[in-house]
Amino acid sequence: MRQLRILAGVATETVQGLKQGGWSNWLVVSILAIALTIFGGVLQLTMTLKNVVSAWGSQLEISAYLKDGFDPRTVAKEVSQLPNVKLVEIVPKEVAWQEMQAAFKVAALNNPLPNTLHIQLNSVDSVERTAKSLRAINTIEHVRYPLTVAQNLNRFRHFIEAAGIAVTAALTAATLMVIGNTIQLVIQSRNREIEIQSLMGVNPWYIKGPLVLQGIIYGVVSAILATSVIWATDTYIDCYVTGQLIGFMPLIQSNLGYGMLPTFIVLLLLGATVGASGSAWTSGRFIKI
Amino acid sequence: MGEFAFIVGPSGAGKSTIMRLLYREEKPAAGQVFIGGIDITRLDRNQVPLLRRRLGIVFQDYKLLPKQTVYDNVAYILRALGVDANEISKRVSSALCVVNLENKVDAYPGELSGGEQQRVGIARAIVNGPPVVLADEPTGNLDPVTSLEIVQLLEKISQRGTTVLISTHDQFIVNSLRRRVISLKQGKVVADVDSGIYEMEANSQGL
Repeated sequence: MRQLRILAGVATETVQGLKQGGWSNWLVVSILAIALTIFGGVLQLTMTLKNVVSAWGSQLEISAYLKDGFDPRTVAKEVSQLPNVKLVEIVPKEVAWQEMQAAFKVAALNNPLPNTLHIQLNSVDSVERTAKSLRAINTIEHVRYPLTVAQNLNRFRHFIEAAGIAVTAALTAATLMVIGNTIQLVIQSRNREIEIQSLMGVNPWYIKGPLVLQGIIYGVVSAILATSVIWATDTYIDCYVTGQLIGFMPLIQSNLGYGMLPTFIVLLLLGATVGASGSAWTSGRFIKI
Repeated sequence: MGEFAFIVGPSGAGKSTIMRLLYREEKPAAGQVFIGGIDITRLDRNQVPLLRRRLGIVFQDYKLLPKQTVYDNVAYILRALGVDANEISKRVSSALCVVNLENKVDAYPGELSGGEQQRVGIARAIVNGPPVVLADEPTGNLDPVTSLEIVQLLEKISQRGTTVLISTHDQFIVNSLRRRVISLKQGKVVADVDSGIYEMEANSQGL
């Protein structure tokens, strides 16, 4: 009970500190919110791209053209044993020829097409490995796959991740400095009060605790603002992007976006940690009891 | 009845330094400082708040929180210790009764006279029931009449069982009360007399 009363006292002191902070509170929150928005946006984008690449991988087909004289069902059985192979579809050369004739009205020739296997994989990362394994099968003449798009998408995702981490690190450092300076201003404006508290025998953590809590509140408010901005942007562009993707990959599922809740939790934890550590560092440096 | 003593001496004699050593605002370059049999120069930094809570401290500039009422100033340390609100109310009322400020609970320090502010400082010093009260030049900012009232108030607190140590260079109040006088000169005790007086010119003799 006594501890609860002390915590209530710390909370009251925190509210008073925030009131004294005035406009500088909003300066800290704005900068931290910008940093978190960029970080959260990058997180949201990379995780969504990961989903897209994964979905692309599930749509990605490798075509394996068989040598003449081999039973496609036997080869298909062998191929289906390979790791990461999700589905193997046999396209007999007669069927392929009929489709080609229907589509292009080709002249009546002897069927030049081979038996073909369309192989779907679990992930885009395993395309090259699987293609290599397929080439090693002596009943397969030729292997084709449209890898470039998937590879570029993956490269773009890695670039976004690296750039996002760099920008977030720089903004986090800037935020730590701004929080530090703000808390320092609070300490300077309350210098006499802190001196009196110390002379009365108030415990140091009762003096420093409200400042750390103030930093945590900055972090939480910033995380809420950042998540709101990301959520609004996400909602606005989601329909458009998904529509484009469905046009591009007709069988792709429409719900590829990364959930907002995990992003919010990450931003909340990051914001609170940055806020608390900035305040703790500054109050430890400037309050000597 | 608690001990009651003045520490006197001219400016620079070391009166305030002794006080700051006693509440561990300063550490001596050499030597020891004992309070209640404990050498406080060896206390860990985290034990200093506990020491200060066992000492009530009264300052020349009152050191009140300007944005808090009289009640909140006196109650502050009790709240920081998590004392129950009813208990706080009881102890604050009692302390304000001792200094005769029961009717000023809602006033802010800026609304009070110097003497009243010092009374609030004294109430804050005694609210936690310390065995010792240190008063560092408590009358330095007050007129002679109010000064005497403040020192008489501290004497009254001493009569309730609290040891009171006052540093001052106010000859009038020292000589009015005729209590124990410890005289300092250039950082050294040059006299320690029961029922003493403070003679500015002859303070090297302590009489």
